Parts: sequence; C-alpha cells; structure tokens
Amino acid sequence: MPEIFIDNVRYEFEGKPLVLQFMLDHGLDHPFFCYHPSLSIPANCRQCYVEAGTPVFNRETNSYELDESGERVIRFFPKLMTACSLEATDGMVIKTHRTSALVERAQKDTMEFILVNHPLDCPICDQAGECPLQIQTYKYGPEGSRFEHKKVHKPKRIKLGPRVILDAERCINCTRCVRFTEEISKTHQLTIISRGDKNYPAVAPGTEFDDPYSLNTVDICPVGALTSSDFRFKARVWEMNQTPGIDITNGKGCNIDVWTRDNVVMRITPRYNPAVNDHWMPDFGREDIRRMNENRISKPEVLLDGDRIKSSWNNAELNFTENLAGLESNEILVIGSAFSSVEDNYAVKKLFSTLGFNHQVFVPNIKEGSGDGFLIDDDQYPNTNGCRLLGFEELTSEKLTLLLSKGNFKMIVSLEDDLVGRGVLNEDLLKEPYFVYMGSNHNKTSALADLIVPIANSVEQSCSYVNSSGRIQRTTAAKETLYTNRRLNLEMSVGRLDRYGTKFDNWVTDRNRIDCIPAWDFIERVATNLDKQTGYESASEIMDEIASVLPAFNGLSYDRIDDELGVQIIGDVSKVTSA
Amino acid sequence: MSVDWKNFEPVLLPKIPVLHKIDVYEKNGGYDQLKKVLKDWTPEKVTNEVKAANIRGRGGAGFNAGLKWSFMPKPDGGPRYIAANGDESEPGTFKDRQIFEYNPHLFIEGAIIAGFAMSITAVYVYIRGEYKDWIDMMQKAVDDAYAKGYLGKNILGSGFDIDMYVHSGAGAYICGEESSLMESLEGKRGYPRVKPPFPAQKGLWGRPTTINNIETLANVPLVIKNGAEWYTGIGAKNHPGPVLYGISGHVNRPGVYEYPTGMSINDLIYDVCGGVRGGKKVKAVIPGGSSTPPLRGDQLEGVCMDADSLRTAGSMMGTAGMIIMDEDTDMVDVLWRISHFYHHESCGQCTPCRDGTGFLEKTLIKIRDGHGEMRDLDLLLDLCTQMEGRTICALADAAAWPVRYTVTRFREDFEKRVKNTVYALA
Repeated sequence: MPEIFIDNVRYEFEGKPLVLQFMLDHGLDHPFFCYHPSLSIPANCRQCYVEAGTPVFNRETNSYELDESGERVIRFFPKLMTACSLEATDGMVIKTHRTSALVERAQKDTMEFILVNHPLDCPICDQAGECPLQIQTYKYGPEGSRFEHKKVHKPKRIKLGPRVILDAERCINCTRCVRFTEEISKTHQLTIISRGDKNYPAVAPGTEFDDPYSLNTVDICPVGALTSSDFRFKARVWEMNQTPGIDITNGKGCNIDVWTRDNVVMRITPRYNPAVNDHWMPDFGREDIRRMNENRISKPEVLLDGDRIKSSWNNAELNFTENLAGLESNEILVIGSAFSSVEDNYAVKKLFSTLGFNHQVFVPNIKEGSGDGFLIDDDQYPNTNGCRLLGFEELTSEKLTLLLSKGNFKMIVSLEDDLVGRGVLNEDLLKEPYFVYMGSNHNKTSALADLIVPIANSVEQSCSYVNSSGRIQRTTAAKETLYTNRRLNLEMSVGRLDRYGTKFDNWVTDRNRIDCIPAWDFIERVATNLDKQTGYESASEIMDEIASVLPAFNGLSYDRIDDELGVQIIGDVSKVTSA
Repeated sequence: MSVDWKNFEPVLLPKIPVLHKIDVYEKNGGYDQLKKVLKDWTPEKVTNEVKAANIRGRGGAGFNAGLKWSFMPKPDGGPRYIAANGDESEPGTFKDRQIFEYNPHLFIEGAIIAGFAMSITAVYVYIRGEYKDWIDMMQKAVDDAYAKGYLGKNILGSGFDIDMYVHSGAGAYICGEESSLMESLEGKRGYPRVKPPFPAQKGLWGRPTTINNIETLANVPLVIKNGAEWYTGIGAKNHPGPVLYGISGHVNRPGVYEYPTGMSINDLIYDVCGGVRGGKKVKAVIPGGSSTPPLRGDQLEGVCMDADSLRTAGSMMGTAGMIIMDEDTDMVDVLWRISHFYHHESCGQCTPCRDGTGFLEKTLIKIRDGHGEMRDLDLLLDLCTQMEGRTICALADAAAWPVRYTVTRFREDFEKRVKNTVYALA
C-alpha cells in the first residue's frame, strides 16, 4: 500500500487523498481557511503550507536512491506547498509546523497578512468563540502585528439578502461563500467585487441574495463577515447548548444541530451527514425555531360549557378515558400524523388497536413539484414513510372528508397535524364528534378540539422519523420541558450556563419550559387507566419494541441509529404502501 | 562583448511604409511562409524548427516557445486554443503596441503557423482594454486576413481551419498572467488558477491551450523563412533573435527599438537613445519592466540584455521594457510608485499578495513622507520574504522583487529619508 511520511510518522493511504484532508482525517491539526471538503479547492488563503518532497526514484536500478546513511534521498519542492491542493503520492514526505521552522514561520506570516486588514473586533463579533480565524490566530498566529498604518475600510452592515448580512471589513476573501453559490446551490448569486485588499463578496446590482440555501454561507464563513439577520447579536456561542437533531420541516430530514440557551432554541445549523445533507440545509429549516419556541400549547386544555380552560393532566386523562368508554369500534377515528414521530404514532396506533378501534388513517402532505431535487423535498412532512410502515391507512383529503361525513364517528383522536389549516378538512366536520388534538402548537385545528393534549416536540424528546428516501433518523432532547431535567437526562447537552448557572443568576429562568409530555407518555397514562399499560419508560424502549414487531424495523435501536447516523430501512421508497 | 548591432536590419518592424495594410504586407513576402508551411510542412517539422530556433518567450518568463508547444497533448478531435497575450500592462512595457500598429500581419501569420503546428482551432488575441485604438487596428487586420482567406475554413485549400478573435481586456494587470488571462477570456473574474493542471492539459474551457506573447508569435514567420540557424545566429547565444527594446525614462530619445538580444545596456543608453538627458549620470536601470530588479548605474559596465548576462548582474530580461533613471532620481519615490502599482493591481486572491502589497505601499508612504524609521527598512525586506514564492501566481514576486532590490541596492537613499531613531533594547 502507498505510504506517506508526515512529521516523520508513516501513514498508509489509498487512492489519491489530498494531504490536508488526509491530515485532518488522521487527527493532525493543521491551519486552513479557504479549504472546505465539499467545495472546490482555490488554495487562496495560503495558510495550510507544508514542506513537501518526494523520494528520488532511479529507473535503472528500479529502486529509490539512498544516501550514505541508507536513507532515501528526498527531493523537496522548491516552494512551500499548500496541503489542501497537494495530492499524496507514494513515499511523499511532509513537514508541517511541528517539524519545520520554515513552515511554522510561513504560517505566522500568512496570519500576519490576514490580520493586517481584519478589524479585530472579536469582542463585538458574533463569530467569536467559533471563529476559525480567532482559534487559529491563538494557535498559529504571530505574537503581535507590525502593521502601524490605517486599515482598509470597507462597507459594513450590507444586507445581501433577506437573511444574510455582510460586514465586508471582516472578510478574508476565502471565497467559500462564492463557491457555495456556484457549486452547491448553483444560483451564482455571489461574487467577489473590487480588487486586491478592497475585495469583498457582493451580489449583482439590483439583485438580492435570496438563495433558498443562503444561510449555509454564514456557517461556512470562517470569520464573522456573513451573519444571519435572524441570529446576529442574539447569543454568544459559548452560552448555548448544541444538541443533534433532525429538521422536520421537510421530508428530506436534514441532520441539524439545535442551539439552545435557557431553553429557547436560538438557532439551527446543519450537521454533517454525507448520506443525507452533507454540510448543508435549506433556510426554511432554520426558521423552524419559531415553531419550537412560540405559540406553544402548555398544559392541557378542555372545553367546559363552551369555554376553553386550562386543565390538569389528571383531568385530561379522565376526560379522554370517559369519552372513550362505551364506544363501538367504528365510532372512533384515529388520525395519525406524518408530522409526528414513529414512536408517537406507534404508541397511539397500538393502544387503539388493542382496544379494537381500527379506523386508523393519515393524510400525507406532499406538494408535487415544490422540491428542488437537492435538499428541499416535495414531501412537507418528515415521517410519511414512517406512517406507511406503521400501517396507517393513507388517505387523500377527499377520502378523509368522505369518511368523516358518511361515518358515524363519536370521537376523533388526531396527532399533531394542522388538518384544517392546511386545507385537508373543513372545520365543520370536526365540530360534532368529541375531538382530541395532541399537538405542540396552537393552530386552526387545535382551536376546534374538545381536549388539547400538549405534547413535546422534536427538540424536547428523543424520537425518530423515516425520511422521504426511507432512512430512519432520530433527534435528542435539546430543550427541557417542565418534566425533564438537563442534568438528569444524560442525552441532553449541558452548556456552560446550564452547568454553572443557578436559579439566582439572571440568565437562567424557568420561563421557557413548556408543560408538555411526549404523546406516547400521555397514551401510556391513558392505557394505564384502561389497564392496558405497556410499561414504556422511554422512546428508545418503544423503538426496541417496534424493531421486534415490525419487519421493516428489524434490528433497529437508538444505539444503532446513532452509530450509523441513521439507518436506511427502505430499499425502494416507491414500493412502500400502507399495510 | 556586445553583439554586432550597428549593421542589424529590423525584421519585426522593418522600415517599409504602411506595412500594416495587407496588400503591402503580401507584396513584401507576407503570408508566403504560411503558404509554404501549409503546402509542404508537417506540424512536427514546424514545432521542431521553432524549438531549434530557441525563441525565448518575450512576455517575461523567457521559456523556449517550441518546447512549450510540444507540451500540447495529441489532438483528440476537440477544440484546442492559442491565447495570444497582448495584455502588456507592466510599467515600462509598450512593445506589442508597435506590432499591432505597424506589422499586425506578421503576428497573425505567426499565430496561424503556430496554430497549424499544434492543430489549434481558434486563436484568441487578448489585448489590454486601454489599447482601444490598437484593438481596432488589430480587428481590422484580422478582418482583412479573413477576407483574403488566411483565416477561417479550409485556409488556402489546405483543409486546415482556424479562427481568430480579438478580445479586449478590461483594465487589469493581472489578466496578463496566463491563467487569469484564460479566466478573463472565459468571462470570469481574473483570478489566476492553481497549477497543476497546466494550460496545455486544461486551459481555456478545460481544453488544451498554449499561451504565447504577441512578440513571440511574430518571430515565428521569420524562423520559418530563414531557418532556425539564421535565428540562433542573431544576438546572444542562449537567448537569440531580434527583440523590441522599449526604452523609457531619462534618455534623450526614448522609444521602441528593434535590435538583437544581448546588446550592452550602455550601448542602448548612449548610442541608441542618445544618452541621458542633460548629460547626467545613470543612477538606475530597470531592465525589463517594473517587476525586474533594478540595476545600479555603476553596475552596468559589460551587462548585456540577455537572460544569462542579466542573471549574473542580478536582474532579469523580462519584457525588455527598460526604464532609465538619472542621478536626480529619488529611489524612494520610484519604489513607492512601483509598489503603488502592484498594490492597485493585486487581484486579491491570495493572502500574501492581497495584504502584503498594501503593507509594502503603506510602509513606503511612511518613509516617503519622512516618518520612516530604520526598522522599517528591515520590515520591508522581511515582508518581501513573506511574499516571495508564497502565492498562486508570480504577482507577489513581481511586487516584492523591486522592493527587495531597490532597498538593498539603493539603501543610502532610504537611509537618508528615515529618522535615525535608536531603540533601546527592552
């Protein structure tokens, strides 16, 4: 196998890896700015210098030439090489800043130049704390600057588009954002304008940066030049918790990180998953923070003589069971939800199946032609395939309307799905029966409910979704509810504020904890009242059960989903139909 | 050991009136070489002849043109290009302009022959945007050549097709660098490309491309006509041929002069250009455009204008655009002006050049304005070390060399301008 020597350590490689990526893959720290594994390689920041050499091969003897001490003769390139653009070859010798004073000096030199015109306003810069420039300056930068002149001034606070704001002075011209719009989103909306040290990225006159993926440029910006108009100045990164999750605004199921502070979701960023979304996600997935934070249902609500009043959980359970009593099997309609998780749908379905109520349906929310073939899918809901696999009957809006108007339903149980708001049902159809809505947010459908059960949403519980390409992925709790505790739930991340804050600090409050429980938990309580309890204590137990019951989920567990960044459980999505 | 230049008859710009008209050019043997090549020669023979003639690129790098042509891969049926570089923007360089104006068909003929040698489908003539009038002249010449059937389909019944397009730059020095020239031709921002891949493998639109200077291609018909042996007999041994010296600065008769390579600088100044104005002494000579290291006036004895001699003297041939400065010149001002140019023209792609050129200029302004300190001289040299060879293209070197060699060779000028500040070691 070909070999490469980096700082006098031998590594083996396959194919033609680039030296920088190879070093990063092997845990060797190396500074760089412009390189991004998913973008083309411009080698313009000149930060990832290495000394590189190749052994001298003698064709006549068919062997490497050796010096007096028996070591291979290495011919070094006359100039320093950028590791990002350098392909590894057999026998190559690389010297980094760890072994070469020249490289160490060159990296300092480049850093000095980068900082010459950088405003160094870290204390007021949003990027501080997660800034590659800041981090690498501490690690590899010069001790001070010899620049005693006026810096170049460029425009600040430019609104490039509806979601992205540019501070041109902070820009180090790595062109990652430009390459992103050229190579990934393919809108070609950004370019570098002007010349030399006056360069900065801009849009063409009269246009705006309204790329549906524009916020990815904020993520890949190695400095604070591009900021999100939504998030800027809202929180410092070290105050937040970062928890892995899944974007549920779309059938694609982009992997995300959910950033919370004091139990408010501050921002959402994409999480790397080569099988789904690579490093990217669409902008509207990030705007989902509003659904997570605002307009939440907290505490159960019941209709009492026409008035909607907050109620206790006990009362909600009693209401539910009482209304259930004495109903015939064709008098209950259970509407599952492609918006809710596999576990919640399963728990609901299992209880009602056990009780003999087999009208279990769901209405997918697929808008043909609304996708773009990249990360925006036609499917507006994250779990359509999950509902299909669990065996909910797939209905169109017309069929559900027909079913409701012809049938003699006394009770309807609906998992979170704004059927009225998205035009599936006319609201009159829900007025007559006893209507239970289990959801996280108030909407037009919940407004009609006789009983509203507040349930935890995707960032408040562990739950899994089967995306439009048949891959099951799961979230973890990022945000506490009234009944969960960050310090007790080992899956939840604990940021600095949570770790060191107390109730007596003004940055920690309990205001933002919602009084809600996972839907399966409520169903379990109802089941207990009906003597049908299953003993679920966590979503992962439900997944274990699903895995043993349903063939499609065989062999699954949360551990496996975590280890493999999601598991492909459907080979051919087009063949999936409701059982 | 200067060459025999007094009996030299110009061949690139011969003394024939209105030679730029195609009829006149034809009457004087124009396009005969093209006819000869298309009729009897194979592409390999052309390449070998040019290689043997050792035409060293006149754009500055001085690379053997025929050797460069031989790097082109075998034709695969797809398009292949020549990009003829007429972007001459380096301060002190203004030779290609004369070819555009006085002998455009020599270049066109040379480009077609080169195209034949490399199975080229199209030649792009990239001319700097500031040369508005010369772009028009060149376009006229190309139109005439099309009308006469020297360009286009089935040239002179040989079955060989080639097109030629005149393309205007938009005012960027960097687009004279071969890979950013290609980016510019493709309609992109003029950022130099990372090599490898080299243009011969992946050039314009990803296809094999050769980039030659205008003057280099203009030499080709002469080689075909008179043979490689004649050509190598002109001028310096390792750097032969006629060359257009663009001489500017403090001489009595500045201008473009055609003479063999290897002429002694003193001959050029005192005999060709009639000496320094006012009979003053020469203080400095920049031999080949502003990026080449300047030579001191007292260094000039015996230095000739060819690659070897200039390398020994500590400079380079470049484009043979010489700038002569007399003893009244303040080298601080000169260097500041040169640095200002490179600061203004850096494309801003690579960090060392983008921010280094500005750093250099600002430090030089400080010295020029009398606020400089001794340590700034060391800083300048240090910055040069930080820039040289650290970027994608050679603009950082072009910006750093004049600083390094002006500061070291004319240090007394700089020391006079800076404060004699003494810093305590602490």
